[in-house]
Amino acid sequence: MNAHSESIALMHKYLDGDLNKAEEQQLKGHLEGCEDCQAHLRDLKRTIALLQSSEHIEAPPSFAEKVMNNLPKEKKRMKYKR
Amino acid sequence: MDQIIREKIKQVKKGDQAAFSDVVEFYQNKIYQHCYRMLGNAHEAEDMAQEAFIRAYVNIDSFDDGRKFSTWLYRIATNLTIDRIRKRKPDFFLDAEIKGTEGLDMYSQLASTDISPSDKVEGIELQRYIHQEISELPPKYRSIIILRYIEEFSLQEISEILDIPLGTVKTRIHRGREALRKRLRHV
Repeated sequence: MNAHSESIALMHKYLDGDLNKAEEQQLKGHLEGCEDCQAHLRDLKRTIALLQSSEHIEAPPSFAEKVMNNLPKEKKRMKYKR
Repeated sequence: MDQIIREKIKQVKKGDQAAFSDVVEFYQNKIYQHCYRMLGNAHEAEDMAQEAFIRAYVNIDSFDDGRKFSTWLYRIATNLTIDRIRKRKPDFFLDAEIKGTEGLDMYSQLASTDISPSDKVEGIELQRYIHQEISELPPKYRSIIILRYIEEFSLQEISEILDIPLGTVKTRIHRGREALRKRLRHV
């Protein structure tokens, strides 16, 4: 593994909250002198931000009603109990 | 909310079908969205989301009360969508295009002309583009990216939903992020 791929692996650990102190120092040290890796990390963070900005989608109308209409018939033992 | 769902599930297990409608109401948007992001189109998403709830109901006795219901339900939905993707006919995407998802036109447009950072792709178009790029990830990365960044589950929860080791979740999320970084770099 060269310094760049090692630093990229650390970036991913960073994004997952898995960096220990020593690794954090190592990543910082590398980023200070490497513009390519800075850009790489920036792009990764932007990608995540774009994903998180995705709009939330709602189920179509009468979705729940359709599910309920398609369930198999209620178990007989319940009807007897009532 | 967890407590209310727990109670409803107990009632369903006793055979009270009506109690299931509250469960469906509560999870319908989440499960539908999950299917939509996994499958990339509304028609299949509705079918699979419907099927997920029906399977959950039919198999409710095999649900272990000690676990989280949402995890179990997401697992059912994820497995269904992955099965559906595997069974797709090769011409599926052509059909989808004919039915008029502008997302595909959008995609080819963007792929051919590099967009500089000053050209903003806004609103609906950007949403479509991101959606399209997610749908083109291999399913094993797609499911994890969706669960993590759209549905906001922790890596540990994702490992439980997909029933794969945490280490595998991490490897896949790294690869998924790298794949998307390359695809979304020019947005």
